[in-house]
Amino acid sequence: MRAPSRKAAARGVAFAASPVLAVRLPAWRSRVALFLLFAAFVALAARAFWLQAVSTEFLQKKGASRYARTLDLPAVRGKILDRNGEVMATSLPVKAIWAVPDSVNTPPEKLQRLAQLLDISSQELKKKLESDSNFVYLKRQVEIEAVDQVLALDIPGIHTKPEYKRFYPAGQVAAHVLGFTSVEDKGQEGMELAQQSTLGGITGSRRVIRDNLGRVVDDIALLREPQDGRDLTLSIDSKIQYIAFTHLQQAIEKNKAKAGGIVVLDVKTGEVLALANMPTYNPNSRVGLTGAQLRNRVFTDTYEPGSTLKPFTVALALEKGLVTPNSILDTPNKLTIGPSTIGDSHPHAAALSVSQIIQQSSNVGTVRMAQKLEPRQMWDMFSSVGFGQPPRVGFPGAVAGRMRPYKTWRPIEQATMSYGHGISVSLIQVARSYMIFARNGEMIPLSFQKVSQLPAPQRVISDKTAHQMRDMMELVVGPGGTAPLAQVRGYRVAGKTGTAHKLENGHYVNKYVASFVGLAPASDPRIIIAVMIDEPGAGKHFGGLVAAPLFASVAASTLSSLNVPPDASVSNVIMPAQPIAESM
Amino acid sequence: MSNRAIFSLVSLLMVCALLLVNSQFQARRLFIELERSQLRQKELETEWSQLQLDQSMLAKHARVDSLARTSLGMSSPGAGKTQYLTVGAK
Repeated sequence: MRAPSRKAAARGVAFAASPVLAVRLPAWRSRVALFLLFAAFVALAARAFWLQAVSTEFLQKKGASRYARTLDLPAVRGKILDRNGEVMATSLPVKAIWAVPDSVNTPPEKLQRLAQLLDISSQELKKKLESDSNFVYLKRQVEIEAVDQVLALDIPGIHTKPEYKRFYPAGQVAAHVLGFTSVEDKGQEGMELAQQSTLGGITGSRRVIRDNLGRVVDDIALLREPQDGRDLTLSIDSKIQYIAFTHLQQAIEKNKAKAGGIVVLDVKTGEVLALANMPTYNPNSRVGLTGAQLRNRVFTDTYEPGSTLKPFTVALALEKGLVTPNSILDTPNKLTIGPSTIGDSHPHAAALSVSQIIQQSSNVGTVRMAQKLEPRQMWDMFSSVGFGQPPRVGFPGAVAGRMRPYKTWRPIEQATMSYGHGISVSLIQVARSYMIFARNGEMIPLSFQKVSQLPAPQRVISDKTAHQMRDMMELVVGPGGTAPLAQVRGYRVAGKTGTAHKLENGHYVNKYVASFVGLAPASDPRIIIAVMIDEPGAGKHFGGLVAAPLFASVAASTLSSLNVPPDASVSNVIMPAQPIAESM
Repeated sequence: MSNRAIFSLVSLLMVCALLLVNSQFQARRLFIELERSQLRQKELETEWSQLQLDQSMLAKHARVDSLARTSLGMSSPGAGKTQYLTVGAK
């Protein structure tokens, strides 16, 4: 190779003789060139210094953003379990389907199919896709199977985002106990709301490095550990809940009532075993929900309890030694106090014993005892069993009811209050107040969560008084009482009926609230059941006819489900030809 | 320093550098595997929740009750037909 090139050079002009070299250039030109080169190097050095030393941080951040990502670590909301560990509410992953409206460009039949899969109308979908924003939710909380079908359509501009949806296997049966959550997984009602802080998880996050395929290849830092919500074990027994709910539903239908509520308490522990309301809703699909359906009447509705309050007046009179169960009191059919007259709705003997007053639910007889009591004593009694104050059970919306201070009571008010008028309470308050009869004179707090340690009881009345009251209330369900329909085969039960006119705009109207509060078995109570039927419309409105049968059917099933041995023979049920109508 | 020493140090450096690359690669590969396992764990947890829910749905009292009554023709025995046994009694 050398020889030809030399030859070529030899053939051309000699280097030293090149005419280009002969041109004389001004000396400044080379200096300018040198200076420019030098300046260029200085500029490069300055730039390098700028990048390396001054703006490093910014640049490193920019660089990191190319490969490092912050990922959210989702936390799962805690499950809600019943006392036996059965799932009552659980969260499962679903997806939200969203779109970038401008990028969605697809034939109409595909959109039609999409609308079908999302279960929305084509017009609605079209409207959403015509929106100006860059991000629009097409549908939230779509279950995974539907999502897969949507993604299979392969429409550009449609994306998904993981989220959780709450499922309630019991549906409407336990709706009011559990409540529900919003699409953001926040508790809105019931226990979901009350226990939001423990049920709700805390989303975590971490920094990772991703490769070009989007796989996470390295952890940079765990910014925050995700915390799953804690599971919540309720005191509710889902079997008893089902029993209570279905029987309530049947009773409401049979009596054509507007609404109703039922609550079942465990006497030994103070746990709420079941709580149901009608009308109700399905927490799994809450379209077109009305306020009436949402309302947890057991907690939030107050009503005048009527005769279910009489046992407290009588117990107080017994406790103060003013009467004994066999004391005979004058009971005229009408009694005038100041400007008002009170009376009983059914004729009875001119003198009744204290036991008979409870058995036949005589207003006059109860007032006779109340007249021997001071307002303050009655007020103390009512407050110590929980009236006039919200029950502390950790349930949202629990109301206090209305009980005016005793100093303002006029004699007629004291008289009506003794039989449950002029005072308002919620069903849960009434149910709890009967603890003093069921627990031989003691009061205990209620709980919606499974109790591991028994709470300390508080004595309100003596053991003796409680037993005497229980004996009287057993007479109520006997042949001469107001509620023979409350009898349960194989078990002795005790209870008290209540029937009250409803107050509308300060006036009593011809609408009724029928109630029954009972405990069983009477020899050693295990459960208290309180039922309330609002505006029964099928001709009957007395607590003994409307509410007592509901009590009986729920008590029978509940006692056998709890394996409570019977304390009476199976032929204990005796039905009179005509039960006594109670007084209002 | 002799050329030989320099040469051997340089080649040692090269080997170390290659080993570093290799171990980094291994670390990432293992990490991806870990990620995958954690994902699988999450999936299994979800599946378990789903199965628990299915169980609850199938064992729902309303369903059991109606199946027992309608297709099996059962009814609850009531106190009259129940024999109660006491533990320890003869």
